[in-house]
Amino acid sequence: MKTSKKKIWIGCGILCVLSVLLSLWYAVTYNDSRLVVPMDFKDYVFDIRDLPMIVSVSLTCVYLVTLFVMLFIYAGKKQRQTEETGVTRKINPKLGYLGILGFLGFSGFWIYPVDGTISAFAFFLFFGFFGFFYEGKMSGTFMDERFRENIARAKLKAYRITFWVMFAALVILCQGKLFGNLEYTLIAAIITLSLALALGIFLSEYLMYRYDHGNQIDEGEE
Amino acid sequence: MAEFECRLKKYRQMKDLTQEQLAEKVGVRRETIMRLEKAQYNPSLKLAIDISRVVEVPIEEIFVFK
Repeated sequence: MKTSKKKIWIGCGILCVLSVLLSLWYAVTYNDSRLVVPMDFKDYVFDIRDLPMIVSVSLTCVYLVTLFVMLFIYAGKKQRQTEETGVTRKINPKLGYLGILGFLGFSGFWIYPVDGTISAFAFFLFFGFFGFFYEGKMSGTFMDERFRENIARAKLKAYRITFWVMFAALVILCQGKLFGNLEYTLIAAIITLSLALALGIFLSEYLMYRYDHGNQIDEGEE
Repeated sequence: MAEFECRLKKYRQMKDLTQEQLAEKVGVRRETIMRLEKAQYNPSLKLAIDISRVVEVPIEEIFVFK
């Protein structure tokens, strides 16, 4: 993606965030916090003062959907490029810091008691992004037969570990109600599955790096 | 289980090739040649044939299974 296009996308994102913040301020100050605090939409009647909030949230949703579609297309293009050139995709190892987003999963412990939403626990999945540290270190590497073999080995081992963790967790969780509550059991299942998938994503990159760079001390040319 | 021995280093040096040069000729990374020489990697048939052509030595002379 060109830098000018990137700037436009970032600019649109900033505009969306600003419009949401502005409409939030408006709703809290002049509209009795309608559409901000949790409300029952069965009794909802449209009010003209709701318009800023509706417009800003709709715009942000459209922006996010378009962004995801664009990223999906871009990722597909990169994948085809990788297959054609036989070189791993270029990734900045600093993207690994996105793994910190995984800590957002802990927000579920705060959100769940407030409104009963459990989807926040799925953020634990983002811990898998720590794998970008290792993928970034191997970016731009020529994929010869040994490299491809190592990819398959690493993925196989990572998936095997992931499935065993999932299986063990489900067996334990399905034994009965956690703390005598079925809902807590389901929350524990979501947390475990998210963490197991994150582990799988991370491990496939980490193991690949280990297999490729093992015994590096002896790697000098004689 | 058969023991794998690789005599590539000897034949490569006889041809006066560096690991990098050989790797480039057979289309792999230098690390792969290094692993081969340390007998830490079993090459595919295609790679074995390519190497044998470059160093001009029969495959069974380079890769030995005892």
